[in-house]
Amino acid sequence: MGGAIGGDTVSLSPILRKVFLVDLVKGLGVTFRNQSENERITEQYPMERPEVYERFRGQPRLKVNPESGESLCIVCNLCALACPEQLIVVKGERNPVTRRKEPVSWTYDLSRCMFCGLCAEACSTDALELSQDYEMALYSREGMVLDHAALERGPEPVRYAR
Amino acid sequence: MLESIKQYLSSNVTPGEAGSMFWATIYVLLITIGVSVAVLAMTWLERKILAHMQIRLGPMRVGPHGLLQPFADALKLLMKEDVIPEGGDKIVFRLAPVIVMMAAFTVFIVVPFGRTAAATDMNIGILFMLGVSSLSVLGIITGGWASNSHYPLMGALRSGAQMVSYEVAMGLAIVSAVLMTSLATGTGTLSMIGIVESQAAQHTWFVFKMFPLGLIAFAVFAIAMIAETNRAPFDLPEAESELVAGFMTEYSGFRWSLFFLAEYTAMLAVSCIAVTLWLGGWLRPFPTWLSGPAWDLAFSLVPGLTFLGLGAMCFVGTVRMPKILQLRAQTIGLAVFGAILFATGLLLFVPGVRERSQDVFWFIAKVAVFQYFYIWYRATFPRYRFDQLMKVGWKVLLPVSLGVLIVTAIVGVRQELWAALSGVTR
Amino acid sequence: MSNGDNRPDLLDLDTKQETFLDTTEMVLNMGPQHPSTHGVLRVILKLDGEKVLGTECIIGYLHRGVEKIAENRTYTMFNPYVDRMDYVAAVSNGLGYCEAVEKLLAVEAPPRAQYIRVIMTELCRIASHQVWLGTHALDIGALTPVFYAFRDREEILKIFEKYCGARLTTHAFRIGGCIYETYEGFEQDVKNFCTKFLPKLDEYEELLTTNRIWVGRTKGVGILNAEDCIALGVTGPVLRASGVEWDLRKKQPYECYKNFQFDIPTGVNGDTYDRYLVRIQEMRQAVRILQQAIESIPAGPIMAKVPKIIKPAPGEVYHSIEAPKGELGYYIVSDGSTQPYRVRVRPPSFVNLQSLDKMVRGMLVADVVAVIGTLDIVLGEVDR
Repeated sequence: MGGAIGGDTVSLSPILRKVFLVDLVKGLGVTFRNQSENERITEQYPMERPEVYERFRGQPRLKVNPESGESLCIVCNLCALACPEQLIVVKGERNPVTRRKEPVSWTYDLSRCMFCGLCAEACSTDALELSQDYEMALYSREGMVLDHAALERGPEPVRYAR
Repeated sequence: MLESIKQYLSSNVTPGEAGSMFWATIYVLLITIGVSVAVLAMTWLERKILAHMQIRLGPMRVGPHGLLQPFADALKLLMKEDVIPEGGDKIVFRLAPVIVMMAAFTVFIVVPFGRTAAATDMNIGILFMLGVSSLSVLGIITGGWASNSHYPLMGALRSGAQMVSYEVAMGLAIVSAVLMTSLATGTGTLSMIGIVESQAAQHTWFVFKMFPLGLIAFAVFAIAMIAETNRAPFDLPEAESELVAGFMTEYSGFRWSLFFLAEYTAMLAVSCIAVTLWLGGWLRPFPTWLSGPAWDLAFSLVPGLTFLGLGAMCFVGTVRMPKILQLRAQTIGLAVFGAILFATGLLLFVPGVRERSQDVFWFIAKVAVFQYFYIWYRATFPRYRFDQLMKVGWKVLLPVSLGVLIVTAIVGVRQELWAALSGVTR
Repeated sequence: MSNGDNRPDLLDLDTKQETFLDTTEMVLNMGPQHPSTHGVLRVILKLDGEKVLGTECIIGYLHRGVEKIAENRTYTMFNPYVDRMDYVAAVSNGLGYCEAVEKLLAVEAPPRAQYIRVIMTELCRIASHQVWLGTHALDIGALTPVFYAFRDREEILKIFEKYCGARLTTHAFRIGGCIYETYEGFEQDVKNFCTKFLPKLDEYEELLTTNRIWVGRTKGVGILNAEDCIALGVTGPVLRASGVEWDLRKKQPYECYKNFQFDIPTGVNGDTYDRYLVRIQEMRQAVRILQQAIESIPAGPIMAKVPKIIKPAPGEVYHSIEAPKGELGYYIVSDGSTQPYRVRVRPPSFVNLQSLDKMVRGMLVADVVAVIGTLDIVLGEVDR
C-alpha cells in the first residue's frame, strides 16, 4: 500500500471503530477545532488591503530624478526590444544642452501587458519599474494606454463611489 | 372579552383541550411566525457557522456581521422573474412547492413546545407527524415531473426513493420509542405530550433508557432524519457537481424559496420529533437528580442568562468593529441588536415570564443543538453515492432498527412481568 | 464496483449497443461549463441508466496557440508564456523550459541557482497538490478541505510573491539560472512553512483518509492497472499509484535532486484511493526535500554565463521534468536564429486525460466526476 496512513494508529479493533463511527467523529473534531477565530485568514477587501511585498510586479512607473525632476529615461529602447508583446513605443530626441536623449513620447499599453518584468529588467538606468500597485481598473479601454505623464504620476485607480 | 382572555391564560391548557377555535388560530399564527423566523435565522446561522468551520467569515456586509442577509435574500428572491418551463404541466408546476411547504408546516400543530404550549394534542400525534411529513415526497416528485427536463426528473426520483427508504427506518425507530412509553403507566401513548410526560414519569430521557437500546434507536433516527431531509452526507440529489440542483433546477425566484424554506422547516420538524421522543421534550436537564427549589430556580435563570450572553457577544462585537466611516451604521445596528437581546434576557428574569417560558426555552435549545449538528455534518462529510446511500438505508439502518425494536419489546415485556410478579402497583 | 473483465473494449458512440432489457441508452453531455470539470472540458457520456458505457472528451476550449506563439518570440521572451500553461503550478513549467534551453545551449545553472530552483519547485509541487486535494474533495462532496488547502497554498504564494514578485504567473527562473537572489528571510519563511504544514497535513488525513464515506467513494473507483498506464503513456502520481515506481527525479535526475534523500510513494491497486494516498505522501516527501535543501544552500553566483542574445546552434532537444502532474516535456528545435523553430510541449494532463475512457467504463455517473478529479488535469495544459 503506498504510504502509511497519517497519524497514530487507534487502539480499538476495526470492528469497534466501525460501529462507534470513530472515523466520522475524528472528522467532526477537525472541523470543530477550525472554527476558532485565529484560524481565519479572510481579508475584507476593500476595507482591509492586502500586504504587498517589495518585489511585486504591478503597475509600471517611470521614475524621475528626485532633485532635478527630470526623467531618468534615456530612450535606449531596450525595454521596447525586451517586451514579448511589443507594447512599449518610445520616441526621443537628443537634448543639445545636456547631450542626453530625452523622451518625446512614451506609450505603454497596459491592456496587453502580462507583467512579466522583462522591460524593468532590461532598463539600463533603472527608470522603468513595476510598482506595487494592483488597482488598475478603469472604465474605458483607451485609458489603458498609458502615456508619459500617466507613467510618471503613477497609478490612479478609479474608485467606485458608494 | 378581556375576562375570557384572562381566564384562558390562567387556565393553562392547550387550545385543543379548551376546545377554543379562537385560541387555536392564535396559536397556529404564533407557530407559523415562530417557525418562519426560525427558518430565517437558520439560513443566517448556516452560512455563518459553515463559513467559520471553513475558516472564512460568511456574510459580513449586508447588516452587522450579515444579520440582515436573510431579508436581503428574501427580497431578492421575490423580485426575480418567474420562469415556468414551456412543455411542463403548468398547474402541477405551481402546485408542487405548495404541497411541500404545507406538508412541512402542518406537522407543527402537534409539536409540544411546552406542557400546554401546543396548538393541539392529538392522541395519534406522532403518527400524524410521520404521515404528514411523508406527503412532501409527493410534492418533490411532482415538481420534478412538471419541470419537463430530465435532470430534475432524475433528481426528483432519486430524492423520492431516498426519502421513502429512510422513512421505514425512521418509523421503526419511532415505534421502539413509543414502546418505552408504556413502561410507567401500563398503556403506551402516541400523543406527543403523553410521550414527554411518560419520560418525566419514568425519570429518564428515552435516549438513556434501557441503555444502549434507547441510544441506538436515537442514533438510527438521527441518521435517517438527515437522509429524510436531503442534507449532507445524503444530499446527492441536490449536489451541485452532479445534476445541477436536482428537482429544484427549473424553479426560480419565489417558488424556489418555497422549496428552500420547506427544506429547513422539515429539518426543524424532524428535529422536534427527535427531541420529543428521545431527549425529553421540554423537560429541563436532570429534573429528578438535581431537584428541589434551589435547583429549579437555578435552571429557570438559564434562559435569561442565555439571552444576556448573546447580548454581551453583540456588545463585544460592537466594540471590535473597525472604526471606519463605512461601518458606522453597522456598528450602531449591532449595538441596538445587542440591546434588544439584553432587554429580552432581563425580561426573562421576571418571575411570571420565567415560569411560562421555561418549557419553551428548553425545547427550542435542544432543537437548536440539532440544527448545529446538521450544519456541522454538512461541513465535514463527503457525499454518499446513490447506491451506497440506498445500501446504508436498507442494509444497515433497517436491520438495526428492527433488531432494536425486537430487543426493546423483549426487555420491556420482561420488565413488566417482573413488576407484576413483585406486585408493584402503579 | 468495476473489474477489468466485463468492460467492452471497443466503443462506437454512434451505433446503438445491446443493453440490459434493451432500454434506450442516454447520451449525457457534461458540458464545458460544469462545476466539476476543472476547467473547460467537455465530456460526452453514453449511459445505460446510471452506468457509463463510454466517454468522449472534447477539448480545445482553452487553446491559445502557445506553441505557435513560441515560433515568434525569442527564447527569453517566451519564458513568461510557459507559466500560463499549467497555471496552477507555474514554477515547474518555467523550470522545464529553462532546463530544456540550457540543455540546448549546453550550459548548466550554478549550484546555488539549482538549490533555489529545487526549493521553489518543491513548494510549487505542494501548492499544486493542495489545489488537487481541495477540488477533488469538493467534487466528492466534502466542502471544507478546499478552504484549508487554499490557506496553506496562500502561505506558499506569499513566499513566491516575496521572491519573484508574482503569485501565480511567477516567471521565477531565467535561462542560465535565477535572476532574483533570495530575499531577506527566505530560509526562515520556508522553515516556518515546513513546520506549520506537516500538522495540517495530518489534519487533512484525519478528515479524509479513514472516513468511511471517503473510502467508499474512492476505493475501487477508476482502476487503472500498470500495463494500461504504460500503454497509454500515463505518468506522474497516476502511474505511481498503479504500482510502477517511476519518478524522473530519481530515474533521470535533473537539477540537484541527486543530493537529496526522498522516497517515491507507490500504490498497489491503481484506484482513486491509492492516488489520493500517493499524492499525500508526495507532499510529505516534498517537505522532506525542502528541509534538506534549505539547510544546505551553497553560496555563489546565481546566473551562469549566458549571452545576452540567445542564439543556440541548430539542433533539437527533448527535456522532461517531473512536474506535479506528471512528466512535463519540452521538445525544442532550433534553426540557429534567436527564435526557436518549434517548441512542442508534452503536457502531462493531456496524456493522462486519455485514460479517462478506460477508467470509467462500467462506473456510475457520480464516479466520473471523482475520476476526473483524481487525474488532476488542468485545461490550460491540456489545450495550451
